[in-house]
Amino acid sequence: MKLGFTLAEEAFRHECAAWLEEQLSGPFRAIRGVTGLVACVEQRLEWERALGRARWSVIGWPARYGGRDASLAEQVIFAEEYARAGAPGRMGHLGVELAGPTILQFGTDAQRERFLPKIAAGEEFWCQGYSEPNAGSDLASVRTRARLEHGPDGDEWVIDGQKTWTSLAQFAQWIFVVCRSEEGSRGPAGLSYLLVPMQQKGVTIRPIRQITGEEEFNEIFFDGARTRAGYCVGRPGDGWKVAMGTLAFERGVSTLAQQMRFRNEFDQLVAAARANGTARDPLIRQRIAEAWIGLRIMRYSALRMLSGGREGALPPEALTYKIYWASWRRRLGELAMDVLGPAGEIARAEPYEFDDLPRMFLASRSDTIYAGTNEIQRNIIAERALGLPREPRGDR
Amino acid sequence: MDFTFTEEQTMSAQALGELLGDVCTGADLRALADGTLAGGAGRWQRLAAIGLPGALGPESAGGMGLTEADFVLLAEETGRAALPEPLVAHAGVAVPMLAELAAAGVSGGVPEALERAVSGAACVVVAHPLEDYIAGVDTAELALAGAGVGQVALCRRDELRLLPQASLDPLQPLVRITLPAGRESLLPGAPQVAEGLWRRARMRTMVFAAAQMLGLAARMVGIAVSYAGERRQFGRPIGANQAIKHHLATVQVKLEFARPVVYAAAAMLADAFQAGGPAAALPPLVEARVLQAKLAAADAADLAARTAIQVHGAIGYSWELDLQFYAKRAWALAALNGNRNQMQRRIQELLFGGGIETGPDRLFTN
Ligand SMILES: Cc1cc2nc3c(=O)[nH]c(=O)nc-3n(C[C@H](O)[C@H](O)[C@H](O)COP(=O)(O)OP(=O)(O)OC[C@H]3O[C@@H](n4cnc5c(N)ncnc54)[C@H](O)[C@@H]3O)c2cc1C
Repeated sequence: MKLGFTLAEEAFRHECAAWLEEQLSGPFRAIRGVTGLVACVEQRLEWERALGRARWSVIGWPARYGGRDASLAEQVIFAEEYARAGAPGRMGHLGVELAGPTILQFGTDAQRERFLPKIAAGEEFWCQGYSEPNAGSDLASVRTRARLEHGPDGDEWVIDGQKTWTSLAQFAQWIFVVCRSEEGSRGPAGLSYLLVPMQQKGVTIRPIRQITGEEEFNEIFFDGARTRAGYCVGRPGDGWKVAMGTLAFERGVSTLAQQMRFRNEFDQLVAAARANGTARDPLIRQRIAEAWIGLRIMRYSALRMLSGGREGALPPEALTYKIYWASWRRRLGELAMDVLGPAGEIARAEPYEFDDLPRMFLASRSDTIYAGTNEIQRNIIAERALGLPREPRGDR
Repeated sequence: MDFTFTEEQTMSAQALGELLGDVCTGADLRALADGTLAGGAGRWQRLAAIGLPGALGPESAGGMGLTEADFVLLAEETGRAALPEPLVAHAGVAVPMLAELAAAGVSGGVPEALERAVSGAACVVVAHPLEDYIAGVDTAELALAGAGVGQVALCRRDELRLLPQASLDPLQPLVRITLPAGRESLLPGAPQVAEGLWRRARMRTMVFAAAQMLGLAARMVGIAVSYAGERRQFGRPIGANQAIKHHLATVQVKLEFARPVVYAAAAMLADAFQAGGPAAALPPLVEARVLQAKLAAADAADLAARTAIQVHGAIGYSWELDLQFYAKRAWALAALNGNRNQMQRRIQELLFGGGIETGPDRLFTN
């Protein structure tokens, strides 16, 4: 065990901090500290391209695809400096953290060459096509269908069906879709993981508004949408394994950046408590101290989990990580509202736009739902980590 | 000692519940929030037709002469429906305050205002001098306000400087109010009476906020229970899973244990108000009970909101579900007029040197 950083690593910290400072006090001044999911989109897309040009977008990836082959320690450092500098939330995170790593691990060379450099460069953005109206927690019951059609320009997948809750689909050029490619199959068998272009006749998007007032997620209708036969990740029918691999990435290195965002939110909360005097209230102080302790626990747990894992296969303790952070942040949101008092009830701007802390409270209502609900996480811990008998299930 | 409501009390609550079930549906709330339906004037008239604006008004002024103990169930019903109009602020707080001013012999438009308020012809809200934001101002014609707790003024809405704010509860915009400069108090030279009136207004506001939160919590549990029975995952209703059942049962426990606290606080408040006039000090234990009621109800409503959203999954996080209206009202009621920490801090003060006696022989004396 070694918890500190080496001199070389500290030099690396210096390098990223300097670059971030230069950019965020210069050309990207306007988006420093922006946390809204769908705020300042144009500038944040440009920011993604700037990260790509300077090769800061996907530092853990191999150099040939636009990364830096960075070590875990370097990725930790970058995440810390990124947050410290107040750099904006990543518009590209679904490509950078989910699609990219999945293609890197499960894809063919041709797929890697085609997709990874564009993700790294901030030129193509992605969204995640898992959930359907009737397939949420029970992802394996997806009904969106894909069939292979022979055509003059080569074989193509033709896709029909519907996805929902698809975050950032309105800005994406590509979607990874879990769909049923073997007619009559049920459950995890017979699914395929397809990479489908969004800008085509067969794809329609309808935005869905969230309780925050933001339109971050969407419904997507596939009506004879097409993609090349070669854009299936893993073998056709083997999509479940790939889909689960993507979820593991969601719990992996991407948690580092997330933790640093939490750190910023925590700091904002403390500043608010100082400013309005609630920091003198023993009840608030105690809850703030608990939140701080929770954040430290989260950090150590993430470092332990990431240090122990092999590529794509996280150690068993990773199963406990999602429920921990989700529950922690949900409580942080509630604490923020108790700190703010009536001021937390007020929108910053018409019609329905909030300051960071009230928005964090609202947004944190979803943490225990997306990426596997708390209930599903507990089932996973009980059944997979502890080996308890499986819950009875009905007929799908 | 009898902890039940009379048949009359429960029946009028039921009648209000049924009326609101007709005129204050989720679809009505949505239409109001989306701006596709202008105002709810018709709804206020329907409530006035059954005398509700004057529920706590003296019979001499045409009111129903009810007490806080009678009104608590009615407030609960308005909560259950997330009623956008400020019926509780008007009938539960402003009308009794006007009546108390009238009883103190204050003229200055008070008797006329009381009469119009009791009939529902004018909607009145109470802008407590120590509160930054007031709800319901958009429907009100008059406001009871004050530059400090030592004075009370009755203002027409158009006399006030209003700073409307978009707020978290999309159906109850909050407003920051500034009094016209140099406004005279209705109670010149009697600041203690003014203080007493504000204290009473605040107690009523809190206990009826608690009652509304009970109604909201029950509504959210109801919505979540029916969804849990319909929504299927893994080939069976999600409500068949113990995880979901236990979540909802836990809220139900919290809610059922908050109810008697709120009801008792309303009854004690009614007794205390009858026993002494506005200038009389409020027994510390009565105040503590009111604070405790708001705390207990806020905890139940918070847990109900959090659980109902969780049970719905992603759709519970969407604007498209009516659930958000009930959750946001509950959050607003919990945060306004004293939030959780302020309640707890005040109870601490009352317990340690604030006049609540402790010890084995004291624990269960009212
Ligand atoms: C902000 C946000 C962004 C999202 N972005 C995306 C996206 O980009 N792409 C995408 O594909 N999806 C996305 N989702 C959807 C997300 O993956 C689903 O919400 C999640 O999988 C839960 O599914 P559901 O919402 O249908 O809830 P359901 O599965 O219907 O669950 C409802 C409730 O039942 C419980 N439950 C279900 N089964 C069980 C069981 N067996 N035991 C105990 N309890 C159970 C759940 O825990 C939950 O409390 C997003 C969701 C949110 C909130």
